Amino acid sequence: MSVKECKAESIISLRNVSKFFQGKTVIDDVNLDIYCGETFVIMGCSGSGKSTLLRLMTGAIRPDKGSVALKGRDIAKISSEELDEVRKTFGMTFQYSALLDSLNVEENIALPLREHTQLAEEIIKIIIKMKLSLVGLRGYEEYYPSQISGGMRKRVGLARAIALDPEIVFYDEPTSGLDPVVGGVIDKLIKDLSVKLMITSVVVTHDMHSVFEIADRISMIHKGKVVEVGTPEDIRNSKNEYIRQFINGSPSGPIDFFREDIGMEDVLDL
Amino acid sequence: MKIREEKLNDAVICILEGEININNSPDLRKAFDGLIKRNEKKLVVDFSGVSYIDSSGLATLIEMFQRLKKIGGALRFSNMEQKVKNIFEVTKLHKLFEIFDNREAALKDF
Repeated sequence: MSVKECKAESIISLRNVSKFFQGKTVIDDVNLDIYCGETFVIMGCSGSGKSTLLRLMTGAIRPDKGSVALKGRDIAKISSEELDEVRKTFGMTFQYSALLDSLNVEENIALPLREHTQLAEEIIKIIIKMKLSLVGLRGYEEYYPSQISGGMRKRVGLARAIALDPEIVFYDEPTSGLDPVVGGVIDKLIKDLSVKLMITSVVVTHDMHSVFEIADRISMIHKGKVVEVGTPEDIRNSKNEYIRQFINGSPSGPIDFFREDIGMEDVLDL
Repeated sequence: MKIREEKLNDAVICILEGEININNSPDLRKAFDGLIKRNEKKLVVDFSGVSYIDSSGLATLIEMFQRLKKIGGALRFSNMEQKVKNIFEVTKLHKLFEIFDNREAALKDF
């Protein structure tokens, strides 16, 4: 299990990070500090840049400007081999679980253990049972992804993410596509793992119920910029008009869903 | 991690030191294999020098518990720091294992 000593220090640190895709700024001079053991939620609309931010933090893509440090190491500057080593210290869950359909639950969770360790098969099987027990799925080893519900698949994805006892777990839209009750189960699981195992959790979501349920701190992203960072209480009471619109789910406000910067000339390529 | 063994009457005390993790838990398993081969059936694991144990370490202890149980043996733990005890509690393994404050109490329980 994790439960390592957790000091009040920044475990993930972004400094002046920018990312451009095809000449367009998708992440714009972002500065963020995420502290050991906290559950940090990144919220924002579709296309706000929150998933790009997550990909930058996991080293899936590198910033065009600035630095992304995990436990003090700038992952934008290290070699692929070193990045592989850093990746062993964090786990990741995906929006659509990303389980391999041809493998059963046990084999899916075993993947990182077989790939990254020299552990005996007997030990791997015991670890899998422990992880399944932690996510409330003991006895599901032989099931295939197609034989279990969406919520269970998400929990298997989580069991796989924590197989190597990571210090950080990144969650990409952990409750999307789930009914509110199952979403609540996933929220509780994220919070439990964070509190009991002292795992640092970084959650990307636009599920407002989930945000206030699990977050120690919240960051609102809009057009690649950090609008505000604060506790759930700070965000609830924020006067920021972007945050007010997002929380209330209002179609009118400063967040423009109909891109005013694109005129008909652009659409018709005139 | 360092592993040291002491024999006391018909029991073996396995004294561990350092961090038990994915890199060195196979060494612990090897040491346990040796004990099984020598038909040692009473084992106390002394955790006084252990600062951390990960899932692979816990799984190694669970396997040894199962192996000893199969041959009519027993496994006891002693001298666990609170932060290591917390790991057993979080995983609910404190209900499976017998954990004692010191070696003497663990030995007395056989």
